Amino acid sequence: MKRYLKIAFITAICLAMILTLSFIGCAKEEAAEGGMQVKTYTNASDITIGFSLWTMEFTFFQNVEKGVKDACEDLGFKYVMIDQNSDATKMVQDLNALVGQGVSGIVVTPVDPGAIGPAVENARKSGIPVVCADIGKSGPVNALMISDNFKGGQLAAEFLAGKINDTAKPLGLGNLLPQWTYARQRGEGFLAKAMELTYNVAANIIVQNPSAEGGYDTMQQILSAVPDVAGVYFTSGREAVGAAQAIQASGKDIWSVGYNGDPEEFQAIKDGVLDATILQEPYYIGYRSVEILKEILLDGKFYENVEIPVDVKLVTPENLDQIAADILEKTGNSAFPAE
Amino acid sequence: MDDYRLRQTKQKFGVFWGNFGLPLIFIILVAVFSIANPNYATSYNFLNNLSFSSYVGISAIGMTFVIMTGNFDISIGSMLALVAVLGSSFIPRVGGVVAVMLTLLVACFLGFINGIFVTKLRIPAFITTLGMLFVFRALAFIYTDNVPVYISDRFWLYFGNGKLFGVIPFPIILMGICYILAYLLLRKSPVGRYIIAVGTNSRAAALSGINVDNIKILVFTLMGLFVGISAIINSANLGSANPGLMGQDYEFQVITAVVLGGTALAGGNGSLGGSLVAALILTFLNNGMGLMQVNSYWQLVATGLIMIFAVSLNKLKFYLLGQGEF
Repeated sequence: MKRYLKIAFITAICLAMILTLSFIGCAKEEAAEGGMQVKTYTNASDITIGFSLWTMEFTFFQNVEKGVKDACEDLGFKYVMIDQNSDATKMVQDLNALVGQGVSGIVVTPVDPGAIGPAVENARKSGIPVVCADIGKSGPVNALMISDNFKGGQLAAEFLAGKINDTAKPLGLGNLLPQWTYARQRGEGFLAKAMELTYNVAANIIVQNPSAEGGYDTMQQILSAVPDVAGVYFTSGREAVGAAQAIQASGKDIWSVGYNGDPEEFQAIKDGVLDATILQEPYYIGYRSVEILKEILLDGKFYENVEIPVDVKLVTPENLDQIAADILEKTGNSAFPAE
Repeated sequence: MDDYRLRQTKQKFGVFWGNFGLPLIFIILVAVFSIANPNYATSYNFLNNLSFSSYVGISAIGMTFVIMTGNFDISIGSMLALVAVLGSSFIPRVGGVVAVMLTLLVACFLGFINGIFVTKLRIPAFITTLGMLFVFRALAFIYTDNVPVYISDRFWLYFGNGKLFGVIPFPIILMGICYILAYLLLRKSPVGRYIIAVGTNSRAAALSGINVDNIKILVFTLMGLFVGISAIINSANLGSANPGLMGQDYEFQVITAVVLGGTALAGGNGSLGGSLVAALILTFLNNGMGLMQVNSYWQLVATGLIMIFAVSLNKLKFYLLGQGEF
């Protein structure tokens, strides 16, 4: 037994020494670096853009990817995409792999914006600029393209207020989990506008299970907590469709608004199940992210931690067809679910 | 005489496959991807993959011990998240060095609780750890109010991002040390023999004077320790500890590595080297397919098929050695 204790003790001492020596070495190395020097190019054909995407499972991200890919084609860049499969650890590994591949610039739509800090720092130390295409960031990046979520929430509150037209009637909010710092602004904008318009948001419940089922369950909770609720706003697309179905099942006359502009929402608005949604522009977010990298890599333009808000629009049954036609023209994708 | 020669050849191949089968698959895999994509064969990518294989590889040590005793621990994904958020929240109060030590203690304690439930309450490990999977995850949410803990302590971050002599990622060093110590424990100490004895036949082990409960508690505690080390490395890689997103499907990745590595689900028989090579195969395979632009759904198909293929080859080994049917 003494022998094993001795082995464990010696190992612990060795480990502590390795750790201390290499940690000191690292501190010197880090002190010597710092800041970002971008490698610029003269030929577009020499540029490779690496794209790390949350998942290809949802339409929103498919459209971001299409935007990035189309922009690379239009600008003559080479393009490499790696799917994070909704796994934060894989995201970091992939970002490091893109650095190892020697890509010229990176676009990332992170599954966990809090987790990209060290990987982005690593890329930027290697002279590779990073643009976040939506979701959010932690630590410095070159640019973050992000929907104007606060405005989206305000538009939803204005729509409900305009339809209900009675400040005595309560509203409900199906909110996002606190970890989605940027997307939570959808709820903050809604609450701020509702307060400004003197409406009472009597139920503000977090959708614990981010899915249509989660939206359905949360709507039932809102109905139990505030039986006379006159209008609800759900801050994500699938949840909003689930909530709208719960409203239909209850047989009550309640206005409902979603967020995203997912095909399911377009269909639900067309079918008269959902009343409105706030449309984000994922294709534009992806496309513009590559254009920013082009400005950095080819034109030598300076971008450091720039947040670029992307406009959002209210979609109602009145403008549904027009907006769907615009989406089809711009992206080549139908705004409605594939048949 | 011909039969004898055939048996001998079969046995020789069985022994060869048992020792070199998985490393051979690994080498072929790396060779194929290196030919297909020159960027795959760079030292940067190789070290990056080795470093990330520690995420599964280190916990695979603990899981190998647990499975060798005929048990399972499916709570480790949630445990990883809880340990990471607890540990990283200690940093502002006690500093990085003490926080690392406290994290490992907490992790051991969580594993110890699992072991106590399994042995003293006689609840099957699958049920116990399934229950703890929910408990640990819920506690992580409650403790943080579902807000990620951001980490800026350089000592803590060094565990995931530091490089020895500015070249070798520190997780690789840690993983190497963990495997050497685990090997000494399993193959060169009485405790290792007790673990194998408990997994092979726990009743016979008890009759020969081994305290079966204590051995099981020990392996669950060790499981906690290795999850704790992985939690520190992983949260350092990510620069934050997220109670909801960390450790998702982690248990399946680790169990996949251990089973792929040749550890028998029934207990008794296990291979630490096999678990390590399997963790490397899974990491290098995913990276290679990603760089080759293979659709993510096909990546899952390939991972599943390779696992089934490797396990069937493992059964072939036992058949050739005359230790089972094929």
